[in-house]
Amino acid sequence: MTALFALAAPFLLAAEEGGHAVETVDGGFMAHWAWLIPVVPMVATFAIVLFGKRSPWKGWGMAWASMGFVAVYSVILFIMNLNDPIAYQGAVSIGEIGADGLGNIFGLEWGWMVDGLSIMMYLVVGVVGFLVFTYAKGYMEGDIRYTWFFASFALFGGGMLVLVSAPNLIQLIVGWELVGVASYLLIGHYWEDHDNSSAGIKAFLVNKVADVGLFIGAIIIGLSVGSFRFTDIMEVVSHGDTHSTLAQYSFWAGLAIFIGAMGKSAQFPLHVWLPDAMAGPTPVSALMHAATMVTAGVYLLGRLFPFFSTPGFADDVRWIIIIIGTLTLFLTGLIALVQDDIKKVLAYSTLSQLGYMVTAMGAGAYTAGLFHLFTHAFFKSLLFLCAGSVIHSVHSNNMSDMGGLRKHMPYTFWTFVIGSAALAGIVPLAGFWSKDEILAGIQYAGGNYTTVEGGAALANFVLVVAIGGAFITAFYMMRAVSLTFFGTYKGHGHPHESPKIMTYPLVALAFFSVVIGWINIPGVTEFHTKGVSALFYTITEHHATGINYGLALLGTLAAVGGVVIGYFLWFADKETQQERDRFRIPVLYPLLEHKYYIDDFYMDGIIRPIRGPVARGVDWFNGHVIDLVVNGAGFLATRLARLVYWFDQRGVDGAINASAAAAGGSGGLLRLLQTGRVQQYVFLIVTGVVVLVAGFIIF
Amino acid sequence: MSPLDYHALAPEIILAVTVLGVLVVDLLPVRKVWTAAVALIGLFLAFIPLLTLGLCDTLSFCTDTGVRTMFDGSYVVDMFSLVLKGLFLGAAFVALLISTGYLERGRYWEGEFYFLMLASVLGAVVMASSRGLVTIFVALELVTGPTFLLAGWRKANRRSQEAALKYFIIGVLSASILLFGMSLVYGITGELTFSGIREAVVAGELANPAYADAPLLTLGVLFTLLGFGFKISAVPFHFWTPDTYEGAPAPVTAYLSVVSKAAGFVGMLVISYAAFADLRNIWGPALWILAALSMTLGNLTALRQNNIIRMLGYSSIAQGGFILAPFGAALVAGITGSQLEEAFFATVTYLLIYAFMNLGAFAVVIAVSKRIGSAEIDDWGGLYQYAPGLAGLTLVFFLSLAGVPPLAGWFAKFVMFRALIVPGNGWTIALAIIAAVNSVIGFVYYSRVVKAAWFDAVPEDVLSGEAREDSVPPSLGLALGITAIGVIVVGFFPGILSSLSEMTKVFVAGF
Amino acid sequence: MSSFENGWALTLIVFLPLVGAAAILAIPKAQEEAQKWTALLFAGVSFALSVIVVFQFDYSAAQKIQFGPDSTLTWIGAINSNYAIGIDGISLPLLVLSTFMTVLAIIYSWDHWPEPHNPKIFSVLILVLATGMNGTFVALDLILFFVFFEVVLLPMYFMIGIWGDRNKVKVPVIGLETEMRLYASIKFFLFTLFGSAFMLLGFLTLYFKSGMETFSITDLSGGSAEEALGKFAFWVFAALFLGFAVKVPMFPLHTWLPDAHTAAPTVGSVLLAAILLKLGTYAFVRIAIPILPAQAKNWAPAIAILAVIGIIYASLACLAQTDMKRLIAFSSVGHMGFVMLGIATLTDIGINAAIIGMVAHGVITGLLFFVAGSMSHRYHTREMARLGGNQTLMPIMGGILAFTAMASLGLPGLAGFWGEFLSLLASFNPLPGLSTTLFRTLMVIGGVGTVLVAGYLLWMLQKVNFGEPKPEWEGHELHDVDKYELAAWVPLVVATIAIGIFPRLIFGATGDAVHALVSNLSKALGG
Repeated sequence: MTALFALAAPFLLAAEEGGHAVETVDGGFMAHWAWLIPVVPMVATFAIVLFGKRSPWKGWGMAWASMGFVAVYSVILFIMNLNDPIAYQGAVSIGEIGADGLGNIFGLEWGWMVDGLSIMMYLVVGVVGFLVFTYAKGYMEGDIRYTWFFASFALFGGGMLVLVSAPNLIQLIVGWELVGVASYLLIGHYWEDHDNSSAGIKAFLVNKVADVGLFIGAIIIGLSVGSFRFTDIMEVVSHGDTHSTLAQYSFWAGLAIFIGAMGKSAQFPLHVWLPDAMAGPTPVSALMHAATMVTAGVYLLGRLFPFFSTPGFADDVRWIIIIIGTLTLFLTGLIALVQDDIKKVLAYSTLSQLGYMVTAMGAGAYTAGLFHLFTHAFFKSLLFLCAGSVIHSVHSNNMSDMGGLRKHMPYTFWTFVIGSAALAGIVPLAGFWSKDEILAGIQYAGGNYTTVEGGAALANFVLVVAIGGAFITAFYMMRAVSLTFFGTYKGHGHPHESPKIMTYPLVALAFFSVVIGWINIPGVTEFHTKGVSALFYTITEHHATGINYGLALLGTLAAVGGVVIGYFLWFADKETQQERDRFRIPVLYPLLEHKYYIDDFYMDGIIRPIRGPVARGVDWFNGHVIDLVVNGAGFLATRLARLVYWFDQRGVDGAINASAAAAGGSGGLLRLLQTGRVQQYVFLIVTGVVVLVAGFIIF
Repeated sequence: MSPLDYHALAPEIILAVTVLGVLVVDLLPVRKVWTAAVALIGLFLAFIPLLTLGLCDTLSFCTDTGVRTMFDGSYVVDMFSLVLKGLFLGAAFVALLISTGYLERGRYWEGEFYFLMLASVLGAVVMASSRGLVTIFVALELVTGPTFLLAGWRKANRRSQEAALKYFIIGVLSASILLFGMSLVYGITGELTFSGIREAVVAGELANPAYADAPLLTLGVLFTLLGFGFKISAVPFHFWTPDTYEGAPAPVTAYLSVVSKAAGFVGMLVISYAAFADLRNIWGPALWILAALSMTLGNLTALRQNNIIRMLGYSSIAQGGFILAPFGAALVAGITGSQLEEAFFATVTYLLIYAFMNLGAFAVVIAVSKRIGSAEIDDWGGLYQYAPGLAGLTLVFFLSLAGVPPLAGWFAKFVMFRALIVPGNGWTIALAIIAAVNSVIGFVYYSRVVKAAWFDAVPEDVLSGEAREDSVPPSLGLALGITAIGVIVVGFFPGILSSLSEMTKVFVAGF
Repeated sequence: MSSFENGWALTLIVFLPLVGAAAILAIPKAQEEAQKWTALLFAGVSFALSVIVVFQFDYSAAQKIQFGPDSTLTWIGAINSNYAIGIDGISLPLLVLSTFMTVLAIIYSWDHWPEPHNPKIFSVLILVLATGMNGTFVALDLILFFVFFEVVLLPMYFMIGIWGDRNKVKVPVIGLETEMRLYASIKFFLFTLFGSAFMLLGFLTLYFKSGMETFSITDLSGGSAEEALGKFAFWVFAALFLGFAVKVPMFPLHTWLPDAHTAAPTVGSVLLAAILLKLGTYAFVRIAIPILPAQAKNWAPAIAILAVIGIIYASLACLAQTDMKRLIAFSSVGHMGFVMLGIATLTDIGINAAIIGMVAHGVITGLLFFVAGSMSHRYHTREMARLGGNQTLMPIMGGILAFTAMASLGLPGLAGFWGEFLSLLASFNPLPGLSTTLFRTLMVIGGVGTVLVAGYLLWMLQKVNFGEPKPEWEGHELHDVDKYELAAWVPLVVATIAIGIFPRLIFGATGDAVHALVSNLSKALGG
């Protein structure tokens, strides 16, 4: 461990106070050492790769410990931040890349940020991560690549923390792609099966497409600000100078950044990778594809929030954000209705919830969006872990193989119910509070944004859709609960409750899913609001000072409505629930079943043509067109040579040899002379001379 | 008539004595090896006065330094002639080394062989100093005459006979053309020495600007140069070359392609740069054309050859084109003295380097074909597996001919390009580009031999068991060593050689 | 100044390998151990010296030429060419890369001699190659540069021709059927010869038409030579461009590369990819830009466009490959496209990006070729369709392959990222006067290129590493990486990570040198 610190020494020395805090303190020792948060899991990753197999617990120990460290550290920071908000950043230069065409000098930095937003993310990654890692020990027991799994999982943890601790866009991109790779590795964990590795590739490529956006966005912002530091960017923004370079490019920059966010946070129409990502082991789905990684996009929007909210900058991108978010939350929610694979249900539900967060960000409801991110992390990971526990015992993902598990696995059942209720937004569970704040935020947006033509109308429409979404959420969760835990067991073997190492984390997460929402009851406890908005730069957003009872009522009604209808559809008569579940609505069902045909379009419309005809065409072009010049030249040279040689030999000797043959081959000087060969030469040479000379005399 | 400057004539005298000595020794009842030894020693001794003359100003016993002019200026010993005499002697030395083993093995007449070869060398040495129509013609015939006989040395072989005869007749024809040209020049200018001719031309031009364009003079100049065109087997006067080269004994071919060819070039250099210095508008374009034709046709034809000797024959035609190319620069009207010097320098440098790499190439060909009993390129397959040394030498010489750094050939080509680019004239640049294309073509067929030696598998039919053990005779080995070291060292430090040819610039100094 | 810093260090680094080659020639063919050790010794010493140079280098004056002889040593008086050598921050990383890769190549070859065996000649070739490569990076005289540039050709030609792939191929267009190695080697040689002929033409014109009568790169730099050239400047740059672009290689002069790489023995491909390709790009930075700044600016858009075409084109071609080595070879064209794009922006960032891109590509693609070579050595095929499940059959090999592929697709945190991302970054704000519209468009297209790059590499991994092992490999003795392979590869893995995490390793050296270069450029342009 000392060696580790020695290795870290340069970082410490280079650490510098930066930015200007908004009535914040620098957090002192804890913040100063916060660079350990990303570094420890990263070191753990390398350690596992190198020594994992030979270590106790085959590498799980190191991964688990590293996440435990992060959990503890982040909890302390979180509490500190609640008392008096922290804003600290440290950085170490890793090289100057010189000036761009306009003379802005650029440095590259690694650094770490400790402020409300990053602390919240540390907490989510740390605490949820710790619980999931704990659970994973039980779930992955006896896996063929046990150690490798934890290496990749720790890599994810490290990458995610690199991402959220990033004080500049470059480091953010680094973390961004590291989690992408971790996700690729973990989705493809069972790569013997071609589909799994394909799912991994799909995830990676879709994200890579989005990352082009992120790259370009980062490039535009960085170059027009002259720095990649968030603090410097926000300084430019805070001056509100609409003639600044940044302001000129801000629409494209904002759009590009948002496209990046759409990739990681799986927004419509780039959402297609997330459902396939369920090929990975369930703990992976729980931590990465529900709680943390997929929220990176939302985090990014939050990190750059002023850039998107300040008039004159990227604020006109927000309408696009709202629309995309709303489409996502509604369309994907519908697909969740028709899924049989329980993980797919949860996956689409995740998409829908991400839609909520993005919508909130678009609507300018910073706190609400991040709060939903926060609560969602707990109950959605809980749901996934429950699903995992179920799958672990029935050895199938399909709800059609389940049913009636209530009696067999009580812990799983109760925690799943709690999670579902939280997700559905039933008072007073976590989901209720965050979703309510989002609705409030959207409503406020509707009331406030009259700047844009039809802005208000749009916002109100969005509000309606959002409430509808709440209904759908409750509806499909009711379905999931009924089909999984009620009715009669339709699977094989005897389902059993999972070991304690798996159930304890469930209980813990269930506890959080109940209480975590209470930390931000508008007007009552606003810890979250206070904490998360502690940044180097000020966030200007409307935040409801009291509970909006009207919206709360609407939201609850929608949720309850979903539950009730779900109850009658699947719960009331448990014997026939499966039959009813097989009921197909004519037009809508096929549409949903085929996921609106988007995947098919991508596959047959883009990927296959490029990999097939286009690529082969280019390859052919290489060999047959470009090389035509080369080989052709060689070809011509040889042919020309043949011609010249022919002249040199046949033209002269040919006739001669013929006559020689006629004269009879046998030797003798005289005959040699008579063969006329020499005369031929003399003749040719004299002509040569004459031609040349004549040429010269004449010209 | 000043008394003879024996110091200046020492090389020629020593050679002459050696020629006779060889005949004498040949009569004595001793092993033929001694004849060769005498010849070699003679060549070596002849080399010494070259050094003393060259370093005259640093030597105490050496009086009157500087250029030594004799016979009313028709015989001159200056740095140029010394360097080229050195070249001839050195090349002849190597050629003899190559010959000895070959002759023993082939049971040819030896004494006469050496006698003739040395006589021819004497001619070449004289050529380097000739500064008059008569001397140069005598020298040229002295160079050529013996080679007529040498070419037919494989008396048993009909092709050899045929080749010799052909060579003879063409040689005579060319001589007559040359003589005709010279007589015309003499008739017009009334001078025999080059300096005299040059002054006459200058004077004539002063009197009448159209003087230089007089058809007769043009005819004279062209015939003279074309006469040399045969010696250097420039296209289209090359027809005899491949047959003769293939027919003649390999060492003789080596000698022909290097020493007598070089002699032709020297004659061309002195006569065009000294006598016709102010008639560049005539010979510049003519030689431009010859150069372009030679390198292009020579290369293209060489592409088609399967017999290495024949291929080297055509390759030497192409190389001749490269050597001629700098002459082409002379066609530029406004060419300055220093630029002419560059051209002259380029030709001399190329000549020196060519001599060594071509001799080396022949030496290695002789060594290998002695081993595998074939000169067909395809039979060289996998040479490096049983004769890595020879394969390595093949690589060195053939890639040097191709002009690949860091082997000497690159520098020869480099200075050639340089001379063409200096004037920056459209025509010379064009010739440079033709040359560039040709050097790529050249690489193709040179590398074909290398490829056979290194990349291909050993063909079944060649190489009987004992051939593997068969070793290179010491004399040939020495020849290979000398040339190889020369090629490599000059490749890395061209300065050594270029400083020599630098000195020859004095010849054109003051243009 | 010690004689070590006074030219001797570099001279030894360059020529020790050559001495080693001569020494090996002297060793009887049978004593292979002795030959190997000699090779390792000389390459190792040369590497060690370069490391010492790294530590003695004065980074505060990285833009200055260092370690050169302080007096001019005449090399070829007749043509006024001197033995002028030296390094600055730009050449230092590449020089070290070159000595480093040479050592690894020898270590790897230790018991991976390609057929036909003959370690003697093979190691001689490696060492001669090393001399050429090192020399090119230190030469400051055009003719000296030219000679080193060409010296590299022969060994590679023989490596490909003798130890190359013996499968028959049918040459397109002329339909001649020949062995891969023969076609590839001659193609490689002719392409480069063709290029260098023009390069030499350019050098000579530079010498005379500039009226400066010197081949010294440092003296010609700064734009005065270019002004003197007048209308010739354009053609000189064109000639140099041909010479360098063939080596890089840039689309559409790249077609020799896939053949050469596919045919070459493992070590050949490694050195070809890791160092030889850099000679061209380095020449652009060292010669073309400083000596002909204005022309560099005129040509920049064309170069950038070709570079980006190269990126997309190569990636698409990769998607069509079934041969693993050929795929990697094409990927090189794409990566060098990013490097050239960076150079074409003519900005600090761009050229820094180019240099770190060169180093990264050298390390990463070198490793890729190592692994690909070892795999085809074990499977006796490079057909990706026949491989598969490699991760199961050879976990470590598969792991390293996966790691390298990730690095190659520009994964942030690994070396490949910086070159790729920063060259895109640079093309957003190219040198003032260059069309931002054009370069920004190119930036976007290049960005799309990164997706394709990721695509073909991941699909390659899927075909090669993932899935169940093919039945045809059952019962085959497929041993995982051996100690020589590890010894050669681990350093590369470490370097990839180190440069990725701490790019200052490169930028620390290049930064000031590049800055000086660019500011001279803008000075010459009257900026």
